[in-house]
Amino acid sequence: MRKQIIIRTALVTALILIGIFLYVIGKEHKVVIDNRDISIGDITYSASTTYVVWVDNQEIGVIKKGERNAAIVTGVSHKIVVEEIKSNVLTGEKHEKRFRLKTNESATVNIPAIINNANEWIDKTN
Amino acid sequence: MRKKSLTKTMNPSVLFLINYAVPIIFIILIAFAIPLSGLSGLYFIRELMIRLSRNSFLILALLIPVMAGMGMNFSIVLGAMAGEIGLIFITDWQIVGISGMLLAILISTPIAVLLGYFAGIVLNRAKGREMVTGFMLAFFMNGIYQLFVLFGMGNIIPISNSSILLPRGYGIRNTINLLGIRQVLDKLIPLKIGDILIPVATFLVIATLCVFITWFRKTKLGQDMRTVGQDNEVARVSGINVENTRVLSIVISTVLACYGQILFLQNIGTMNTYQSHEQVGVFAIAALLVGGASVAKANIPNVFIGVILFHTMFVVAPRAGKALMGQAQLGEYFRVFVSYGVIAFSLALYAWRKRVEKENERKKIMNYRKSILAK
Repeated sequence: MRKQIIIRTALVTALILIGIFLYVIGKEHKVVIDNRDISIGDITYSASTTYVVWVDNQEIGVIKKGERNAAIVTGVSHKIVVEEIKSNVLTGEKHEKRFRLKTNESATVNIPAIINNANEWIDKTN
Repeated sequence: MRKKSLTKTMNPSVLFLINYAVPIIFIILIAFAIPLSGLSGLYFIRELMIRLSRNSFLILALLIPVMAGMGMNFSIVLGAMAGEIGLIFITDWQIVGISGMLLAILISTPIAVLLGYFAGIVLNRAKGREMVTGFMLAFFMNGIYQLFVLFGMGNIIPISNSSILLPRGYGIRNTINLLGIRQVLDKLIPLKIGDILIPVATFLVIATLCVFITWFRKTKLGQDMRTVGQDNEVARVSGINVENTRVLSIVISTVLACYGQILFLQNIGTMNTYQSHEQVGVFAIAALLVGGASVAKANIPNVFIGVILFHTMFVVAPRAGKALMGQAQLGEYFRVFVSYGVIAFSLALYAWRKRVEKENERKKIMNYRKSILAK
């Protein structure tokens, strides 16, 4: 009888853990990508040109100076890649950043901050 | 001249016609409807492939209660409701992809087990009238489901996603978009032959269920169910807990129906919150009966033959109706009439055969008594 209770409890616990795991890896998050001027502390990073953005290897599109776009991502770990466009041609200079999002978190990513390697390039909100 | 009972006749072709009356009628109807519909072969195969992957699981869920002698389980609607509750939660939490589908399965399983247990207990109290009881039980539970979803969700159960809530702030909207899990299983292993997309992963899941059912028949519980299905008293004398076995068969069927409904809705991609589950039982049962099954006997080939025949009718009937009478709606009415009619016809045929068999048994006993008295 005791063994049966232990097995059943373990089974229920395992199912709950699997449920939590599925929740975490399947949760959608909104990531807003800004190509706008940003002031972090005393420093202002200015948006100067157009970029192509990929999030988790999916092209989000071209974001012109002063514009923003959004991506819907799934899971915890993500990667954003931005590449500059000059005279309608990709320059080949890519900037890559990795970030993690907790459940119920969304984020705003600033491209000028990424380009300038600023620490506060991402703003996470609940 | 002595009247000879049809079931007493030894002519195998007559027996075959009696046993397979429903599929034969369907084949004849389809043979007329296909040329009238004017549908291309490619379109027809594509539609049939979608419907096979969409519906087979739900119909397979009906096999185990038949094995346990409980007839067609109209209460699979309860399982479908459980599946829909799981889908509402994952849509609210914005869990997408295969993880979303699996989480919906995980959430809805305990609900389906509870509902199946409840249905099993009720059906045990209505022995011999399981089908009509199951049918009414589905109506009853539909009311509870509506109360729960329409008033409980957003009030008692927190729902944070405003896109699925009614504007008044509680209750779920009529239609939920399942874009996050739309065809995730169907497209998990993509295979395209010409213009036809084969949902390999879904077929693998269906094949696994077929293997499970075949294996289950051979297990101790499966054998017990078959014994219970043949004769409750014999099973009881053999030491089988008849009531428990019957409840278990309904629980398994309800859980499978719950998974079947999730599979069905992931293929469609939208959920009609208050109506998606309503016709599940009737259509699944009609398809199984069209496949040549009866209330007392159903197997895996019946499922697939049934899906092909029944859903071919779904595809061609509106077009055939339009070609014949200039209105697609007439074909659709005809299809609905045939769907319900086929259930009524099968049940009547089954009841008639049972009555004739009983009569024959009685005559045999009478003849035996007469021969003993003559000696």
